[in-house]
Amino acid sequence: MDALTAHLSVLGHGLVTTVQLTVVTTIGAMLLGIVVATLRISPVPLLRTIGTLYVEVLQNLPLLALLVLFVFALPQIGIQFPLFTSAAIVIAAYQGAYLAEAIRAGINTVGKGQAEAARAIGLTFSQSLRYVILPQGLRAVIQPIGNICIALLMNTSLAAAVGVVELTQAANNVNLVEAQPILIFTGAGLAYMLLALIIGQFTGLLERRLAIVR
Amino acid sequence: MSILHNSLTRRRSLALAAGALAVALGATACGGGDPSTPALPGKPAGGGDLIQAILDAAPVATDAEIPAGSTMEAIRKRGQLIIGGSLDAPLLAQQNPVTGQVEGFDADLAKLLAKYITGKPEVKTVTIGTQTREAMLQAKSVDAVFQTYTITPQRATQVAFAGPYLTSGLAVAVRKDDTSIKSAKDLNGKTVIVGANTPAVTALPEVAPDAKQVAFATDPQAIQALLQNRGDAYVQDFTLLASGAKANPGMKVVGEPFTSEPYGIGINREDAQFKEFVNNWLKKIQADGTWAKVWKATLGSVVEGDAPTPPVIGSVEGS
Repeated sequence: MDALTAHLSVLGHGLVTTVQLTVVTTIGAMLLGIVVATLRISPVPLLRTIGTLYVEVLQNLPLLALLVLFVFALPQIGIQFPLFTSAAIVIAAYQGAYLAEAIRAGINTVGKGQAEAARAIGLTFSQSLRYVILPQGLRAVIQPIGNICIALLMNTSLAAAVGVVELTQAANNVNLVEAQPILIFTGAGLAYMLLALIIGQFTGLLERRLAIVR
Repeated sequence: MSILHNSLTRRRSLALAAGALAVALGATACGGGDPSTPALPGKPAGGGDLIQAILDAAPVATDAEIPAGSTMEAIRKRGQLIIGGSLDAPLLAQQNPVTGQVEGFDADLAKLLAKYITGKPEVKTVTIGTQTREAMLQAKSVDAVFQTYTITPQRATQVAFAGPYLTSGLAVAVRKDDTSIKSAKDLNGKTVIVGANTPAVTALPEVAPDAKQVAFATDPQAIQALLQNRGDAYVQDFTLLASGAKANPGMKVVGEPFTSEPYGIGINREDAQFKEFVNNWLKKIQADGTWAKVWKATLGSVVEGDAPTPPVIGSVEGS
């Protein structure tokens, strides 16, 4: 156990970075997901095409490839962000595509009559989305959104490959000194599991609070 | 939701996805860096033949050296040596995409050991991360680890080390136009790029406690990051830096190596017999000049001067 306890500050720093990255990215991905899902159901064909393109491109490329491209290829054309920011942008964009599909599924559960009624009483497209469709649609997919957030948490470990010292990289660095991979990565794994359990509990709670009783 | 949603046909969305992927791949190709960079830096033409000649002349163990029930006998029966190593380390162990052969100092030594035990240079390389080497050896998933495995007292409590078979050191590289950094001591207060899971991660804070460290997964990424101003310097093994500087005119190596890294061959900790066998083999190839020939054909292609004197077997704490 000494291998873990002797390096608590390094591992703690990594854990904090992982949590920060997860929180920032979840917020970004959620906003992006709502926007892209809206694009995909909008009445304008061009916007629908943009939404579809976004989802298909980002879902069908590996996250690690996207990260490496963003961090190393963009500076070639003069665009460069700090590493943490780069990782946050890429993971948010990537998970945003998955969230968009989950949210779109939620929107599709809302009865057609609801949208028709909303338009009939004079709400605009965006008003009907904001007041009628999204509030009901999002409630229906809280659990899938929670699952995507857990996947997002696990995916933050890929930021280690582009120089962000989060929990996985911190564990790597500790292991480099201590040479006890099983102990150290079990410890890091338990920390990830704990975070995932917290997300899972939170989404469970939200779902019970907000579930639509039909 | 038909008021809001007019779904695309499946065929059309597939075509869109294919188009988008083509665009994305095109972008990847553009980001691929300098096309004139050779795939295998520092590898002289005909290096493969040179190694073949060395392998043909290499010694084979007598039956007396391989007692029944030993690890060596198991390897001889199997007909190939299974090692843990890398396939992406230039000059040390890098798979040639054309021939499929793994080339470099570590890889060639592994072939020599395979020949010594089985009579033919058959090596199966299991690519392992630096974080799983101890576990792989303890589980006997591999016979030995050839992966610039620095001998440290902490690691020696988990695995046994034969060797050291090579001594190298960490050095500093900077961008060509940089004159502010002349040695490792000048790194204080600077942002320094290191390879993730390399000895530099722990060695840098000892020479430059105030340096800010950024780690990248692979050597080409770290070089790219240095050239893109993500850090002021790049700390890495001297020979790797030398080969990197040869392929990338935008960077240069400054000063002498500031650490001494003894590399050992990782072996299961319980297997004292195999460790002694490997140590005897190392002494043999050092004495007959094979070691120097392999060095010259691999690392020697980017470092000027003759092959260095090989390290004394067992000379390091932990070996």
